[in-house]
Amino acid sequence: MSSGTPSSTITLTSSDGVDVTVERQVAERSVLIKNMLEDLGDSGEAIPVPNVNEAVLKKVIEWCTHHKLDPPSAGDDDDSRRKTTDIDEWDQKFMQVDQEMLFEIILAANYLDIKALLDVGCKTVANMIKGKSPEEIRKTFNIQNDFTPEEEDQIRRENEWAEDR
Amino acid sequence: MPALNMPQPPPKDDLDATWTFLEKGINSVMLKLEDGIDMQTYMVLYTTVHNFCTSQKAVGNGQQHLHTHRGAHLQGEELYKLLGLYLSRHLHDVSRESQKHTEEGLLAFYIREWIRYTTAAKYVNHLFRYLNRHWVKREIDEGKKNVYDVYTLHLVKWKEDFFANVHEKVMEAVLNLIEKQRNGETIEQSQIKSIVDSFVSLGLDENDITKSTLEVYRFYFEKPFIQATRVYYENESRQFVAENSVVEYMKKAEARLEEEKARVGLYLHPDITKYLTDTCLDVLVTAHSALLRDEFQVLLDNERQEDLARMYRLLSRIKDGLDPLRAKFETHVRKAGLAAVEKVATEGETFEPKMYVDALLQVHTRYQSLVNDAFNGESEFVRSLDNACREFVNRNTICKSSSTKSPELLARYTDSLLKKGAKAAEESELEEMLVQIMTVFKYIEDKDVFQKFYSKMLAKRLVHVNSVSDDAETSMISKLKEACGFEYTNKLQRMFQDIQISKDLNANYRDWQEKVLDDEDRKKLLDSHFQVLGTGFWPLNPPTTDFLAPPEIVRTAERFQTFYFDKHNGRKLTWLWQLCKGEVKTNYIKSTKVPYTFQVSTFQMGILLLFNETDSLEYSDIQKATSLAPEILEPNLSIFLKAKVLTATPEGSKPGPGVVFNLNYNFKNKKIKVNLNIQIKSEQKVESDDTHKTIEEDRKLLLQSAIVRIMKSRKKMKHVQLVQEVIQQVKSRFPPKVPDIKKNIEALMEKDYIERLDGDEIAYIA
Repeated sequence: MSSGTPSSTITLTSSDGVDVTVERQVAERSVLIKNMLEDLGDSGEAIPVPNVNEAVLKKVIEWCTHHKLDPPSAGDDDDSRRKTTDIDEWDQKFMQVDQEMLFEIILAANYLDIKALLDVGCKTVANMIKGKSPEEIRKTFNIQNDFTPEEEDQIRRENEWAEDR
Repeated sequence: MPALNMPQPPPKDDLDATWTFLEKGINSVMLKLEDGIDMQTYMVLYTTVHNFCTSQKAVGNGQQHLHTHRGAHLQGEELYKLLGLYLSRHLHDVSRESQKHTEEGLLAFYIREWIRYTTAAKYVNHLFRYLNRHWVKREIDEGKKNVYDVYTLHLVKWKEDFFANVHEKVMEAVLNLIEKQRNGETIEQSQIKSIVDSFVSLGLDENDITKSTLEVYRFYFEKPFIQATRVYYENESRQFVAENSVVEYMKKAEARLEEEKARVGLYLHPDITKYLTDTCLDVLVTAHSALLRDEFQVLLDNERQEDLARMYRLLSRIKDGLDPLRAKFETHVRKAGLAAVEKVATEGETFEPKMYVDALLQVHTRYQSLVNDAFNGESEFVRSLDNACREFVNRNTICKSSSTKSPELLARYTDSLLKKGAKAAEESELEEMLVQIMTVFKYIEDKDVFQKFYSKMLAKRLVHVNSVSDDAETSMISKLKEACGFEYTNKLQRMFQDIQISKDLNANYRDWQEKVLDDEDRKKLLDSHFQVLGTGFWPLNPPTTDFLAPPEIVRTAERFQTFYFDKHNGRKLTWLWQLCKGEVKTNYIKSTKVPYTFQVSTFQMGILLLFNETDSLEYSDIQKATSLAPEILEPNLSIFLKAKVLTATPEGSKPGPGVVFNLNYNFKNKKIKVNLNIQIKSEQKVESDDTHKTIEEDRKLLLQSAIVRIMKSRKKMKHVQLVQEVIQQVKSRFPPKVPDIKKNIEALMEKDYIERLDGDEIAYIA
């Protein structure tokens, strides 16, 4: 294994068959990749990433490259980080993409096991919801209202306690 | 356009297809890991788990409603269960396979399978990471029991489906192996180490799976191991003791204890250390402690220091192991001390104080070094040594007649060291000896007796100016002060000061003489030196006899008095003639060019100077002229006769009325300086008796002052308490007897210092 040399590069193959070469350190932001390299060693072969297409993969790599020197995430215990919806400036800009891409990034982060990116993605979506009425939310995400008025009424009553006053 | 010939994950909603696909993958990880797994397979297996868990396959609408409070339903339970079943099946096969092996073969099999299985488990855990992150995490967060992350699931299954079937046989093999090693064979101890590590890994904390416990190791390894250890050493020690000496057994036991301690570091978990040590100590030491202790006396008698040290080390490690030894040791030292004194006593009355003190010291030194070297200087043994020494120092054959004999002899020995003489020691040696004296002093109970004798002898050394050195004197006084406090040495220090002051005084006196005397006076001047000694500090008494000093001396003394009273108005000087001395020259003897010089006491001077006027004097004339009491006069005349300074008529008669004494013009001596100032034997005896008498008197005063002091501060006190308090206060000087204290309380009541109240209470009268 050549895990000791951070300058070494590896190749990822996207679901649509495009090879992307990245620094190993960047790729290892993904716990999936990291574990696999640990288990199998770096054979120099391209690593297939069957669930992520080229566009999304590149976007994810862009994020990983920017964050390659971040300290490893402290995991679930880092509650304060999880609870705030603050997003640093670079990440905010990075997330200024169309909704479809945003969701693709979130799915890819979940699949590749990149916790920090998953968090940023989810926070971005949360910020889109924050302060909006159900109707506005439906509009934002293009969701059809499938509740009957009675159901809607019941849910409102159940959740009265959580209303912002 | 899927890449290359990459295997495709099965449809994500199809559980059967998904599992069939996964099982094949897991099988190759479990059974053919050495063939390697390619990246495609790895990624596709991971992706399969991911895809299944993220599939929207609803689990039925009704159920979903029940779960509204926990958010979205997570997929994965089926995979988790199937994986569990798979592992059980797999381990069942491993179990069956294990039955083909026994003993070391079984250990090898267990270890091989353990390594294979746990390595595979790490892979499978990574492949199922998506399941861990979501479904498993949710279950655990919600407090579900018996759901573990995938790696832990492997361990749990190993424990339930394999370990449970083999641990007995495995331990049997392990214990057989260890027994072989204990018997001296070489074994593959890394095998045991691996087994231990495996058992430790299986300790899972049911309440918090991120933590591990040692329970499995403790129950399945420690317990049988300790049991086997106990049995092994019970048998071995029983047999060994029957065939070997106790000394040999101790060596064996110590070696075994070391060996077992090392065993922990070699291949056991440190958790067992205390348990193992306690077991070994119990079987190897406690079980045989009576036997060991019985040997203690034998070892002491033969001074087997190394073996004693070994016994100490062994017994010090068990509870209450040493107490019986301490008692035996104390008795032994006391007996040794008594025997040493007994030997000195066979010399009769005439032994030197040095012999006695040396005998005490020798015993102390020998056993102190034993305590230090063999008993690690342990404080309880030091206490036993101290108790024993205190006993034989204060109560032995020589002290039998009077308990004050020890301090007296010690003081005499000290005097012999500090007095100028033939036996004077080197300075460093002397200091060493003074330190040793303090060692004995520490044990002396009648410290007041030592003080009495010491101050008498110090007084003499100072008056006669025959101390070896001021430094040595100061050193001894400061040692005593350190041991007994300021009060104890106060008078000694004042005596020392008086001598220093007297030196200055004599210098001043000489200056005064220069100024005051005329030439006529100066011609007749005697070379003189005076010491003025404070009455309260010096243990000296006025002369017991009248004495008419010769006119030459009287003139000198009176002149000094004039000087002194001039300086210190109102003081009183008492001449201690018995302590004064001087030198006279024999100008009447013509046979030598240089006249002889006689060193004489003032009394002797008084007698000899009479012969300046005449050559013969009758006994009664001498007595009349000097006023000396017969008991002083006669021995001194005897000295003159013996030295042939005087001759008696009739020849050969003893001094007494009617005898005539003649000046011997033919006196001859090899030396020019002749010392005639020899102490008279009877004086010495009287002195010692006097000292003992004053001790009784002083003790009475010490007790009374203690009583008054206590009562003055307490005002009221129970009789019993008062007695206790007095004992506390004076015991550093001497051990008081209760009847003496009571007697002195009575005496103080008569003198109206204190009074008796109702209820056995005593009050202070202000």
